[in-house]
Amino acid sequence: MSWNISRGVLITCLVLFGLLVFVPLTGSKYLIDLSTEIMVYALFALSLNVIIGFSGNVSFGHAAYFAIGGYANAILLTTYGWPLIFAFPAAIILSALAAAFVAYFCTRLTDIYFAMLTLAFSMLVWAIAFKWRSVTGGDDGFVGVTVPSFIDGRVPFFYFTLIIVTASIIILWLICHSAFGQTLIAVRENLTRAGFIGVNTRMMRGIAFVIAGAFAGVAGAIFAMYNRGVYTESAFWAESAQVLIMTLLGGMYSFFGPAIGAATLYILERFANEYTEYWPTVLGLILLVIVLVLPEGLVGLAKRLKERLFLGGGQ
Amino acid sequence: MKSILRASVAAAFILAAGANTVISEVKIGVLYPIAGTGAVYGTPAMHGHNMAVDEVNAAGGIMGQKVVTFARDTKLNPAAAAAAAKELITKEDVDVLVGGLSSAVGLAISEVARQEGVVYIATIPKTIQMTTNKLHKYVFRTSSHTDFEGDAIAQIVKKLGKKSICDIQLDYAYGHDLAAGIEKGLARHAPNVKKLIDLRSKLGATDYNAQITQILGSGCEVVTSGLWGSHFVNFAQQAKPFGLFDRVTYVSGGEIASHEIAGKMGKDYPDNVISNTYELWYDHSFPGHKKFQADLAKRSGKKETAMWPVLAYIGVKFIEAAGNKAGSMDADKFAAALEGMTIKTPVGDRTIDPKTHQANTGQFWGPMVKKSGVDYRVMSPVTFYPAKLD
Repeated sequence: MSWNISRGVLITCLVLFGLLVFVPLTGSKYLIDLSTEIMVYALFALSLNVIIGFSGNVSFGHAAYFAIGGYANAILLTTYGWPLIFAFPAAIILSALAAAFVAYFCTRLTDIYFAMLTLAFSMLVWAIAFKWRSVTGGDDGFVGVTVPSFIDGRVPFFYFTLIIVTASIIILWLICHSAFGQTLIAVRENLTRAGFIGVNTRMMRGIAFVIAGAFAGVAGAIFAMYNRGVYTESAFWAESAQVLIMTLLGGMYSFFGPAIGAATLYILERFANEYTEYWPTVLGLILLVIVLVLPEGLVGLAKRLKERLFLGGGQ
Repeated sequence: MKSILRASVAAAFILAAGANTVISEVKIGVLYPIAGTGAVYGTPAMHGHNMAVDEVNAAGGIMGQKVVTFARDTKLNPAAAAAAAKELITKEDVDVLVGGLSSAVGLAISEVARQEGVVYIATIPKTIQMTTNKLHKYVFRTSSHTDFEGDAIAQIVKKLGKKSICDIQLDYAYGHDLAAGIEKGLARHAPNVKKLIDLRSKLGATDYNAQITQILGSGCEVVTSGLWGSHFVNFAQQAKPFGLFDRVTYVSGGEIASHEIAGKMGKDYPDNVISNTYELWYDHSFPGHKKFQADLAKRSGKKETAMWPVLAYIGVKFIEAAGNKAGSMDADKFAAALEGMTIKTPVGDRTIDPKTHQANTGQFWGPMVKKSGVDYRVMSPVTFYPAKLD
């Protein structure tokens, strides 16, 4: 196990958490909303990285579990009137179960076949949300989600999100840095060799998939309450592509990289939308830069810069 | 001590927060799809919106204050539209939201408006939910809705004196709602008309051969539909060789009588089509339309203008009238001013029902016929169907 966190990362995390705690004191509704949205997407991207960065598989359908978490929480809270304390965990369990079902089939495959099957299952989830109008609202969306009174306000909801996302990130960090996480890295690095030394690689990949699905469900459940609505677009492939780009932008070989990627991409999108309608072009350029210049993402770039600055470039 | 802390933290975040304290302007947050596939609707709508804002400012603004627009792209995505609406309210501090296109986007913006206590005027979304089970005090709609559209279709079927219909709709919210609207309309106007088949096509479908053969096999006299835009274009191109339009009258919502579709299809536009539109560039039945159309043509750079601008234009005109009447942009006073308000528009008077917050937006209906000298179809005769359900 390697649960030691470097001093620099720990200080950065604590400073960031401290800054977030004080965000509501600014009185800026915009900043509170933006921070809430970024926290949700950061968790969503971190969850995907359990599959990509740790188990070495690419999922093109991670939005499915985000949407399942969102729809389940919304329906249980609103249609069935469940209290949050039951609805929220139930939504996470449903996301995990759905991920387990998909993992059962997907982990039989690797590489592009794995990726395509995850895409197929996610589009199946999208189709169910689209067609099951009486339950999900179809393409009109499930609008008017009931939010418990104790978090029915901008600031209380912000702190609720902060607590849940922080707790989720800590749990994810512990999982990824446990013996299980290290074994996943072994599977990622060499599936065959890991199998030869006795690792049940299919089961390991399956568990990673379920964990990722469960935490995507957490993010989706929060987002449904934040938006007071869930929409079929949440399960669409474009949402999966967006979170994939967030993960790659931040850096998939770093635990916190996807969170940085999520924050960067989300802020870029928001500001780009204020000044231009050509966000898709901007996104395309970002993707080109990642592939051609930043294969290890922003975290990789930061590491390289640090080496140059502090180690004299190493040339 | 607490205030010092507040001030310090606020100062630290001031740039990101984008604090804005200007109060001598009326700020409108406008939400249309202005990039990607939705731009074909959103861009003309923005022409109408900007034209109305320029007119309002030239006439002295609202309550003497200049009107400023903050436009955001909804990307035809409800979550993106909701995020943009929140940003417009919390960062740009807009007084009112206007726009929307699809039903889902309209409902998402409406939900933000409810949460934030800001008035939202839906200028294009048609979902019946917005002014029924999802109605709240801050949402108003100036476009038509599927019950009005379905009622007009039923009245036309009655006038045709036919006894059987086939219904073909897109398999999503608008299609389902319009089918329900037609059924309600038929029950009111033509209860003896029999529906022989009920067909649903996938949203975005390009192949309609299966549905075409089913319609031909059923022997129905009228096809009622809501296939819009490229759906109708594809359907018509595939149905024409089978002679479908020679055997049935095609009565359709979805604004396929608009010049956007008629002009695009040109000589390929089929016979026996009766459809609707919010506005026709060549029809000056209502006072003020001629000037509106001339100004729009100048702004758009073409004589044959699109239908969407008038919807966005009317939205801004309601904001102008309500702001001046309320004497304030306070959401509650502004909403109260909108209830029961009547304004003159280039396509007739519009009144917002104080109970449902729905404007009585009628539409132009008529057969699409050939006209000498031009290679596109025009509506003739043009009949205006007022928005009422009786």
